[in-house]
Amino acid sequence: MKRRRFIQTIAAAPALAVPASSALAQQPANPQARQASEIPRLETSVSDVAAAYTPRFFTALQFSALRKLSAILMPALGNNPGALEAEAPEFLDFLIGQSPVERQQIYRAGLDLLNAQAMKQFKKNFADVDETQANTLLAPLRIPWTYNPPTEPLSRFLREAKADVRTATMNSREWNTVGGKRTGVGQYWYPID
Amino acid sequence: MANKEYDVLIIGSGASGGMAAYTLTKLGINCLLLEAGPQVDFTRQRGPKAAYELPYRGMGKPGKLAHVVQASEFNANQWVDEQQVPYTHDPKSPYNWVRVRMMGGKSNFWARMSYRLSDFEFKGKDHDGFGENWPISYADLKPFYDRVDPIFRVTGRKEGLAQLPDGLFEDDTSPDSGAALRFAAAGKSRGMTLTKIRRSQGNGQLASSWNLLLPDAMATGKLTIVSNAIAREITTDKNTGLVNGVNFVDRQSQREMHAKAKVVIVGAACLESTRLLLNSKIANSSGVLGHYLHDQFYISNGVIAVVPEAKDGKAPKGLMGGSGYIPRFRNIKTKEKNFIRGYASDLYPGASADAKYFPFWGAELDKEINAHRGACIGTTIMGEVLPRFENHVSIDPEVVDAWGIPVLNIQCKYTDNEFNMAKDAVNTISEVCHEAGFEVLNGNEKMHPPGYSIHEVGTCRMGDDPKKSVLNKWNQSHDIKNLFVVDGSSFVTGGSQNPTMTILSLSMRASEYIVEQKRKGNL
Repeated sequence: MKRRRFIQTIAAAPALAVPASSALAQQPANPQARQASEIPRLETSVSDVAAAYTPRFFTALQFSALRKLSAILMPALGNNPGALEAEAPEFLDFLIGQSPVERQQIYRAGLDLLNAQAMKQFKKNFADVDETQANTLLAPLRIPWTYNPPTEPLSRFLREAKADVRTATMNSREWNTVGGKRTGVGQYWYPID
Repeated sequence: MANKEYDVLIIGSGASGGMAAYTLTKLGINCLLLEAGPQVDFTRQRGPKAAYELPYRGMGKPGKLAHVVQASEFNANQWVDEQQVPYTHDPKSPYNWVRVRMMGGKSNFWARMSYRLSDFEFKGKDHDGFGENWPISYADLKPFYDRVDPIFRVTGRKEGLAQLPDGLFEDDTSPDSGAALRFAAAGKSRGMTLTKIRRSQGNGQLASSWNLLLPDAMATGKLTIVSNAIAREITTDKNTGLVNGVNFVDRQSQREMHAKAKVVIVGAACLESTRLLLNSKIANSSGVLGHYLHDQFYISNGVIAVVPEAKDGKAPKGLMGGSGYIPRFRNIKTKEKNFIRGYASDLYPGASADAKYFPFWGAELDKEINAHRGACIGTTIMGEVLPRFENHVSIDPEVVDAWGIPVLNIQCKYTDNEFNMAKDAVNTISEVCHEAGFEVLNGNEKMHPPGYSIHEVGTCRMGDDPKKSVLNKWNQSHDIKNLFVVDGSSFVTGGSQNPTMTILSLSMRASEYIVEQKRKGNL
C-alpha cells in the first residue's frame, strides 16, 4: 500500500497530513519576542523513541515464534521497514495482553501449534525453520478468505496474525517516518467532556 | 428555577428532532429541544494525529466499542460508550447498536445517502401479502420529500423508476466509468439499472441537522436548546392522561430536572425513543411497542471483482473511478421463488482489495496488492429486512446505565428471507461481473449482524389500526394525542433504501400537522 493511499484509509474521518513541527512553526522564531504570558508548546515524543518495551505476555518460545512469523508475513520491502523494524511483535505482545481472553487464546494456541508442527515435521522450533519449511507450515494462509473465521485453531490464528502484523507494521512510527516525513495521520476525536 | 411551559418539547437533535424544531419554530411555535450529549466544537474536539501516537497504534483499545464495527481508535470518542450506556442481547444473536450523543446526533456522521421510499415499500403488503401497508402512500409524503431535498442539496440523476422515485436533485452529470457501464450492460437483462448514488451535499463539510436545520430554528427566536439533558421518562397528567413534560438528568451535574410542555415530540432515534417510551410505560395499549425491529442487512464487499484491463496501473482513462448505485430490481416485475422484497447495491469501480482477499504473504502479497490497486470493483449489498413481531426490544430489569436508567434488551435475528436474498445478491452480482469480463476475487453472502447499517426502524410503527400500531399516520400516538414520535421507529417497512430522507420528511409532515391541530384547538 502506498503511503498516500494509507493516509486515506487509516481512519474513517477525512485525513490531513500535517508536519509535526507545524504548531511550533507558528511560534515566534525569537524566544525573546514571545509574550511573557505565553505558554510555549514543546515538541514531545512517543515513548518508543526513547525506550524499549519488554515483552511480558507471551512465553519466550511463543514470542520467538511470533517474531519469526512477523518477519515472514511482513518483511522489509523497498524503502519500507518490515515488521521487526517496526517492532510489531513487541506491540502485539502488549495488544494481545490487553485483549479479551478469546483473542489471547487464539494467539497462544496458534503459536504453540506453530512450534509443535515445526518440531513434529522438522524437529526444530518455528523460530529456526527455513523458508521452505515455513511455507509448508503456513499453508493454511492459502485458503481463500471467508467471512466466518476458520474453526481450525492454526488457520484461525494465522488469519488473525496476518492482518494484525500488517496493521501493526503499517501504523508504526518506523513505517510512517520513512524519509523523515510524518505521514499516516488521521483525524483523532479527543474524549468528550 | 424556570417553571416555564413550552408549546412543544422535542427530544433529540438529530435528523428527526432537528427537522421538528426547524418546521415548528418557523411556524411560530415555542420549542424546547433536549439533546443528551454536548455541543462539541469540531475544531477543538478533533485534531490530526498519527496512528503511532495512539496507545494502540490505531488498532483500538481491546474490548471498547465491541459492537461498533465503524469505530476506530481515531473516532472511538465520537460514539456512545457501551460501558456507560450498555444494552443486552442473547450472546448467540449479537446486535450492533451504534449511537451518537452530541448536537446533531448521527446526522453529523451519516453517509448522506439520500433515497426516497416508494409504494413498493409504503404498500408492500399489496405486492406480496406480507406484513402491513403503511397508512400513507408515496403521494402523501412526496411534497415533503420535495421540500427536504433542497435543504440538504441532494445530488442525483433522474431515472423515472417506480421503485426509486426521483427527487429534486442538483443534477449529477458526472460520467459513469467504463467499468460501471460494462456492469450495467451485463445486468440489464436481469432488470438492473445503473444510477448515481444520491447524496446530500449540505455545505460540503457537513450535511447535518446541526448546520442545516437548527441554525434556522434558532434564528426564529422560538427555540431553546438544552444540551447534556438525558431524558429519563416522559411524564403524564394523571387527570387527563396527556403527556405534560419530561424528567431528565443533567449529564454533567447529575441533577434531576423536569421540563414542561403541551406537546412532546420524541426524536431520539429509533431505539432510544422506544426505550424512553418503554421506561415511561406509555403509548403501548397495542402491545407492539418495541416490536417489528428491522433495518437493512449490509454485506461489505459482497462481491469484489477485478477489471483485468486495470491491473498493474494500466487502466485507460475513464475506465475506473466514481461510484454507482443499482436500485432494487427483484420482485418488481418478476417474482422470486426464495424471497420477497429486494436489495440494492453500491458500486465502487476503482477500489483496491484488502490484503485478506489475497492468499499470500510477504513479497508475494505485496506484489498482488500493488497489481490490483485501483483495479477492483467493490460492492456494498443492502437488503430489505422483513419486519417481524419476534424481533423486538424490551427493558432489561437487571441493568441500568450510568444515570440509573434501565437499558434495552435487544432480540433480533435475520431469517431465511434475508439469507436467501443475500445469496441471490452475491450470485447475481458475481454472474454479472463475469459477463462484464471481470474476475471475481471474492464473493461473500454473510451479512454483518443486525444493526450494523445504523438504519434501525420499526419499533413504534404507524398504522390505521390502534391494535396493531403505536402511532397513527401523523406520527401521533394512538393512546396519547399530544405525544408524537417522528424518527425511524415509526416505519412500517424499511425497503433497501437508506432511511434518512424519509425520516426528515415524516418529521416535517408531523410537525406541520401539530401546528394545524394546535390552530384548531385540538392540541
